[in-house]
Amino acid sequence: MENINSRLKFYCDADRCIECFACVVACQNAHELPVGIARRKVVTLNDGVEGKETSISIACMHCSDAPCSQVCPVDCFYIREDGIVLHDKEKCIGCGYCLYACPFGAPQFPKDGVFGAKGAMDKCTMCAGGPLETNSEIERHTYGQNRISEGKVPVCAAMCSTNALMIGTSEKVSELYRTRVLARGESKEANNSYLWNVAYNKQSRKGLTQ
Amino acid sequence: MTNHFGDIVANSKLIMMVGANSAVANPIGFKHFLQAKDRGAKLIVVDPIFTRSAAKADIYVRIRPGTDIAFAYGLLHVIFKNGWEDKDFIDHRTYAMDQIRAEAAKWTPEEASNVSGASVAQILEVAELYAKTKPAAIAWSLGITQHSVGSSNTRILPILALVTGNAGKAGGGCQIIRGHDNVQGATDMANLADSLPGYYGLGKAAWEYYAKTWGVSLEYLQSRFHPELDAKGEHKWMHAKGFSLAKWWQGVLQEEKTHSSAPIRVLWVQGTGITSMSQQVKIKEAIDKLDMLVVAEPFVNEAAIITDRKDGIYILPAATQFECEGTLSATNRSAQWRTQVVEPLYESKADHEVMFAFAKKFGFYDEYVKGMKMRVEKGEVVQYKDDFVWPDDAVREIARTVKSIGLSGWTPERLRKHQANWHLFDPLTLKGHGEMEGEYYGLPWPCWDEKHPGSPVLYDVSKPVNEGGMGFRNRFGMEHNGVSQIADETVTLPGQKIKGGYPQLTKANIEKVLGITLSEEEKAQMGPSWAMDFSGIIQKYAREYGVCVYGNARARTIVWEFPDPVPVHREPIHSPRWDLVQKYPALPDQDNNFRVATRFISEQTKQDWSKEFPTIMTSMRLVNLSGAGMLERTSKYLSSITPEMFANIHPDLASKYGIEDKGMMWIHAPHGTKIKVRAHYNRSVTADRICMPYNFAGVMQGVDLSANYPEGTRPYTIGESSCTVVNYGFDPITQISEFNAGLCRVEKA
Amino acid sequence: MKKYRVLLSSLLLSMTSLYAISTGTYDDPLYGTAMLNAIPKYFAFGEVFTYLQREWFWKGFLIALFLVPVAGSIHYMIIGPKVFSHDGKKIFAFGLFMRIMHNLAALSFLVLVPTGFVMAFGDFFGGGTFVRVCKNLHGIATPVFAITVLPMIIAWIRDMIFNMDDVKWMMIVGGYLSKEKKPIPAGKFNAGQKAWFWIAMPGGILMILTGALMFFLNINLSPVATLFGVSQIDLLRISAIIHNVLGMVVATFFMVHVYMAAIAIKGAIHSMITGYKEEEEVAILHSSWYRKLKEEGKV
Ligand code: HEM
Ligand code: SF4
Ligand code: SF4
Ligand code: SF4
Repeated sequence: MENINSRLKFYCDADRCIECFACVVACQNAHELPVGIARRKVVTLNDGVEGKETSISIACMHCSDAPCSQVCPVDCFYIREDGIVLHDKEKCIGCGYCLYACPFGAPQFPKDGVFGAKGAMDKCTMCAGGPLETNSEIERHTYGQNRISEGKVPVCAAMCSTNALMIGTSEKVSELYRTRVLARGESKEANNSYLWNVAYNKQSRKGLTQ
Repeated sequence: MTNHFGDIVANSKLIMMVGANSAVANPIGFKHFLQAKDRGAKLIVVDPIFTRSAAKADIYVRIRPGTDIAFAYGLLHVIFKNGWEDKDFIDHRTYAMDQIRAEAAKWTPEEASNVSGASVAQILEVAELYAKTKPAAIAWSLGITQHSVGSSNTRILPILALVTGNAGKAGGGCQIIRGHDNVQGATDMANLADSLPGYYGLGKAAWEYYAKTWGVSLEYLQSRFHPELDAKGEHKWMHAKGFSLAKWWQGVLQEEKTHSSAPIRVLWVQGTGITSMSQQVKIKEAIDKLDMLVVAEPFVNEAAIITDRKDGIYILPAATQFECEGTLSATNRSAQWRTQVVEPLYESKADHEVMFAFAKKFGFYDEYVKGMKMRVEKGEVVQYKDDFVWPDDAVREIARTVKSIGLSGWTPERLRKHQANWHLFDPLTLKGHGEMEGEYYGLPWPCWDEKHPGSPVLYDVSKPVNEGGMGFRNRFGMEHNGVSQIADETVTLPGQKIKGGYPQLTKANIEKVLGITLSEEEKAQMGPSWAMDFSGIIQKYAREYGVCVYGNARARTIVWEFPDPVPVHREPIHSPRWDLVQKYPALPDQDNNFRVATRFISEQTKQDWSKEFPTIMTSMRLVNLSGAGMLERTSKYLSSITPEMFANIHPDLASKYGIEDKGMMWIHAPHGTKIKVRAHYNRSVTADRICMPYNFAGVMQGVDLSANYPEGTRPYTIGESSCTVVNYGFDPITQISEFNAGLCRVEKA
Repeated sequence: MKKYRVLLSSLLLSMTSLYAISTGTYDDPLYGTAMLNAIPKYFAFGEVFTYLQREWFWKGFLIALFLVPVAGSIHYMIIGPKVFSHDGKKIFAFGLFMRIMHNLAALSFLVLVPTGFVMAFGDFFGGGTFVRVCKNLHGIATPVFAITVLPMIIAWIRDMIFNMDDVKWMMIVGGYLSKEKKPIPAGKFNAGQKAWFWIAMPGGILMILTGALMFFLNINLSPVATLFGVSQIDLLRISAIIHNVLGMVVATFFMVHVYMAAIAIKGAIHSMITGYKEEEEVAILHSSWYRKLKEEGKV
């Protein structure tokens, strides 16, 4: 298997995130998503509670061993060499299993099926489109912009107003984050550790990593 | 901002935000505070609400709305008592600090705590940290200005910076964080009722100066005004302040005493949110009564919606920023050139086109645009061509005219070059490299002439004037009460060829101050003072002698023209503390400010408002909506973030009134208005106060106004405007409404 | 009349499933803060679901798919179907209303089970339109089934209580392992049918509920979620696990039921069409009931 450190990853630095929704709206707007679908979400925990309030932006983490891809009954996921986890909307039946398998609640479902049933799953593509012809109109329509193919940064990270949202190879992102954490003093790290571990497959993910 | 964001990132060791929630109102700006924090700077947030900014602070101090001055004096008391002030700075560069000291002596931490609600321990902690950590920046925004003591608020914070010697220092200073694009520029260009552009005021000399630069006669300008003369035989209304945005409606309704030649009959709204002003019901009544309402906006301004009138409303489609070109001033006084991205869509027109069309119809187009065909020749402004190029010639007109804040160096050529080369500027120092070497990004004003690099930090005496340094401005005379207003001889900037402080340069004093002799030709061309010297000769000599045209003076800590020369705490007009109203009463009522009488003490003491209206009410901005929200609420994505108007309320307060989380409640204001909003349980507010966004409109006192929107223009979300219940109360100088400290009564709906 | 009231109310009940109630808050009950809080607990149901779905469910469905057909054909070949005279007298067994209910249920199951299998082996069919159509049919069939549950329970529950006959029936596996036609101890319903009832009805309800949860996904289920003390995402994961495991059981029993009704007992299916059973069939396969009817003089 290729070097795990060269996979593209997101990380949201909760000490920076201020719940400004720039990432969310940038994503929705760039990919022209239906209202109600937010590939990226910003959530504030303990809203208004002094000393405890934390905001965080979260989307698909493009997991190394993508649990979503393991459970899909129609096998519509594929993982690119750079680690981006994508899926084929034409195959997807909108069953929701990927959501149940996903630790981060990334997969979402437009209610556009029969009687408002779940339609084809939609999730963050890391702005890398989908299996259709790269940069074709139909790809843009189905999966949103393909910025990666144009050498651009995903639009959410580009728009982040506080540089809380980082994107890059796992190695680079950890390096950047580590520098920040060191500058802040170690007491701050606790804020983020659980997300970090899950997304980056440190420690406790052994169950899924044979 | 006296400094700029990069400077905060690079140099500040402490940032104290008071009445600013930049995380929401200016997220990109706030990034820089977080970057500074990551570098080890301490962030203190003082706010009545535990905001998103407060959530990132090292120290959060919760104060009662409208008590910033009490809190600041609490800090000053501790600082003076412990001798932590910067004595040299005070001696050499300030005036009348003893009066501040005397006022501060009254504000023991206990009293400051009693009034502001901050604990004594917090006051001691913040005072020590702020005084001992250098450089320390203070930042504020509307939480400071929007009060009946707003102008005193905006003076007490700079005083803190002066006392601790943080003024004019890299990493220090006073950072007023603007919440919208070009707020700074709009102010500089005097979208105000009391001044010509560049803060020249409305005096006769100012009008004469502007008549020259516009290439028209003073008589012509006079002829545009009502002919009434005042006691001195001057044109009465030309030199009087106009109605302000806050109380223009009295010009229509005339319920309070007004001073004008006639009632207002037409309202023209262009680029401002009428529904984000207080007293919405009065505004509605006023619009109902007008002869005509014109709205020139990219989106339907809800001024046209809140009224019941069926005709006499004209909605003109104005272009958005993407369809126009020109300059903007950033919050740090840097200019930025904005390029047109697309031609105006459909029938919409750029703002200036709308105004040109208007001027043509009214027959003053030629005079209106003449200033753009003029240039300076031998100290005189003369017309040199028959046509003009937009926006370049407009920018040239500004550069030629607005010397007061140093826009002379802002030529379109330079600004375009900055835009094209922004990658060559260092974001932390704003310094240019390579081709842009020697200039600061956007030429932050003052930029005294075409060679000046701009001034990244105001009042910085460590740099030569020609490289962006300067002392304090000599604006208020040579002496006051027998004390010199000029900085002493220790304040000599590098490269300055005369010693110490000096007055502002005028035709009368320049020879004496600089020790030069002017030629007759120079004398003939030179304007009366540096601010009105088209010839640029005063600046030429200033450059040669390394001095600043506006002088090198002391910062005055008292403003003798104001009702409160020394800033003092005064309880909000509607105060929850009747006991403190007796001790810290409001100012006497005003007979005429911006043409209308305004109640202060009479309103405050009419009754103990807190009995009937026991809950404090304050307003906030939402990050996804700005101003009146009429633009953002037409975006489906932005409006889906906050699909409804709401108020944050503490569960304890809510349960007292039987209000459920996400249930509806009424908010009643002392002046008899009410709004119906959804209650959001939230602990960012304490149980004595509620907080709500001011970004909604389209519902008034429980009545849905959807039917008033022209077909297809109803935004995705509409809601009650908090401004319907914002209490009566205005600042005595600026007349801004007291948006952030009122009273209300909540009730389950 | 009562029947119709029951029918109406169950119809209404199932209709409520068509309303996706929007929550009206900014915090999505599934995707919002609750999801973030659930991340650290992923290792419970999230991981279990992933493991089961990856390793076991398809195997289970595979077994379920082949078990009955294989066992059925062996039975058919070795023992063969039971054939009863169709010329004899008939005994009235099921009223029109119950026949309609049962057949609606049967119809819905004929849709639910195959489409369920298609989804479970979606990759075999290559996903896409066909599987999606099956999924939608699966969803449409559910309310149809849901309507029938209450009437069937109310009508039959008394006859479905196990008694001594059933123990005896069990001992001889209903006599299906022999070709002999000797009376088998059983009331109106034999132990096999009773077992099917108890699986199909409470199990069916559970299938409806778990299916509905998965269908509605992010409507506000916080009362349910708090009832079980789990987050909404975990509720969905548990639903998926139950739906799959129970689905295998239900599918298996359904196939047995179909085999019995349509193949193993020739013509048994007619009783659900006409309402009448062959007297001989009743006498042999439901001997206790036959005796009772005789005593009451109804035959
Ligand atoms: C009593 C019988 C059953 C009922 C009432 C029922 C109902 C449902 C419902 C309402 C859904 C959700 C559909 C949606 O989200 O669009 C569902 C999903 C599912 N069912 Fe069933 N079902 C039944 C039997 C079965 C059986 C026997 C199987 C397997 C052989 C099965 C396999 C599945 C699968 C794999 C899903 C997930 C796909 C999905 O969510 O659409 N079901 N079921
Ligand atoms: S975050 Fe969820 S959707 Fe994204 S790769 Fe991981 S499991 Fe799949
Ligand atoms: S919803 Fe689509 S992508 Fe997700 S598991 Fe089901 S078929 Fe696969
Ligand atoms: S990477 Fe692209 S698709 Fe993913 S959340 Fe960001 S903007 Fe949306």
